[in-house]
Amino acid sequence: MQNLGMRNLGRLVVVFWALLMAPSAIALVTDLSNKRIEIRYSFNGADLILFGAVGSSAVDPVNDEFDVVIVVRGPEANTVIRQKAKVGPIWINSESLTFPSAPGYYAVAASRPLSQIASDAVFASYGIGFDHLPILARTPRGLAAPDSDFRSALFRLQASHGLFRQEQDTVVHIGEGLFKTDIRLPANVPVGDFLVETFIFKDGTIKARNRIMLAVDKEGFERAAYDFAHGYPFWYGLVAVLVALTAGWLAGVLGKK
Amino acid sequence: MPLYLPIAELSMNIFLVIGMGAVVGFLSGMFGVGGGFLMTPLLIFMGIPPAVAVATESNEITAASVSGALAHWRRQGVDVKMGMVLIVGGAVGSFFGAQVFTYLRSLGQVDLMISLAYVVFLGSVGGLMFWESVRAIYRQHKGIKPKLKPREDRHKAWIHALPFKMRFRKSRLYVSALLPLAIGMFVGVLAAIMGVGGGFVMVPAMIYLLGMPTNVVVGTSLFQIIFVTALTTIFHSVNTQTVDIFLAVLLLVGAVVGAQVGARFGLRLKGEQLRALLALMVLLVCVKMGVDLIVEPTELFSVGEAGSH
Repeated sequence: MQNLGMRNLGRLVVVFWALLMAPSAIALVTDLSNKRIEIRYSFNGADLILFGAVGSSAVDPVNDEFDVVIVVRGPEANTVIRQKAKVGPIWINSESLTFPSAPGYYAVAASRPLSQIASDAVFASYGIGFDHLPILARTPRGLAAPDSDFRSALFRLQASHGLFRQEQDTVVHIGEGLFKTDIRLPANVPVGDFLVETFIFKDGTIKARNRIMLAVDKEGFERAAYDFAHGYPFWYGLVAVLVALTAGWLAGVLGKK
Repeated sequence: MPLYLPIAELSMNIFLVIGMGAVVGFLSGMFGVGGGFLMTPLLIFMGIPPAVAVATESNEITAASVSGALAHWRRQGVDVKMGMVLIVGGAVGSFFGAQVFTYLRSLGQVDLMISLAYVVFLGSVGGLMFWESVRAIYRQHKGIKPKLKPREDRHKAWIHALPFKMRFRKSRLYVSALLPLAIGMFVGVLAAIMGVGGGFVMVPAMIYLLGMPTNVVVGTSLFQIIFVTALTTIFHSVNTQTVDIFLAVLLLVGAVVGAQVGARFGLRLKGEQLRALLALMVLLVCVKMGVDLIVEPTELFSVGEAGSH
């Protein structure tokens, strides 16, 4: 009886010791204020709050400084970047480059400017940030690293549409290992599954990471209309015509009075 | 108040959309035109993807033409037989126009095609209309009355030589069916690629090429536009899924009210003055489109989804 108790205690000590020693054992938990964003008629973008907490002995949340980098990545889509060139007197789209799996949304939030958190090489090895996000383009020789002009155009254009964000959102330390940040989804956000990855940095290296999912989807009437238009395009067109004919006839009747 | 448009996939202020409909409706009511040539560029300018703007505007024009055509129908102002021939041509033209549209969209050249079509057609039609109305105003000023040709001589010799002649009683015409077929087809292509009804091309063609009496021209043209834009809507919906019913209905709400006010306002102006103003407006849209093509854009790159993988 007593023997058994001693053995259990011994196990507990071993487990505790292992937790204490292993750097991968940092407990990191995160959660979102809303894990499912519904696009309805009044949708005009959404602001989410991500909460996270670090708790373990490898990082002493009360005394140790740590940095947080949060990467939100939207569903991948076939994205084309086109470049205009002057042909005769007019400017027309000439060259184009297709990125078969560019994220439709990409946001990096950090507790400090990225350059102060870790070296470029560290971010590069994890593919974090505009400069390091691995992204391939379709070329005649298959998938390859894109031309830098087109790559930077992709990031510049998507950033101007509010779809790519970096160095704009800050992760705030609340204290006791607790942190939070805002995630801003613009009105033109693509629908699909989003991956929210949280990285804990200490002394320029990653100490812990975790990922949670976020879903953005059209709901209700907007979902039904979209599905109808894409699933039954002929019938959708016919309904659109019938609606127009009825509306036009109504307008004619009302206008006569 | 923002409203999310499920097909355009963006959010727009509902009052802005209705307001745009009202302004264009006012102008179209005043000048007695469909207004597609104003609305489609305006929608593109507001950030609606060009493909959605063109397809949705087709849908709105169907609605706008119904009320106009009904009014002409009550006044016996529709030549149904002529309309049918124009519709057959229009259906063929619209089908091919929509195919070209879809193909160019996949190449990323649809914006260019829309702009070029606007510059060419608005430029020529607006220019002719402006010249004609200025001349009319000048003549009226001087008291010169142009001689009217007798109806029989209005057709050129080559038109008489065409085969497949058909009798159109309402228009009091005996003319080859090929001519209205060709006109209808041309208008159908324009409807599909420009998001317009095509009245600005069809009405002059009916008057000057076919020699139709003016009392049936507008009604018959509206009659054709209803069917051709309806077909165009379906073609675009099947090919590219770019028809946004919600946007179309909202625009229509504004357009209906605007057109009523505009029609009353238009009564205060003389025909030549109205035509000159309309011509100026057409040329303005043409110049805006043309300048955008010529001036070096500040951003040379643009992003687009290739759609199907």
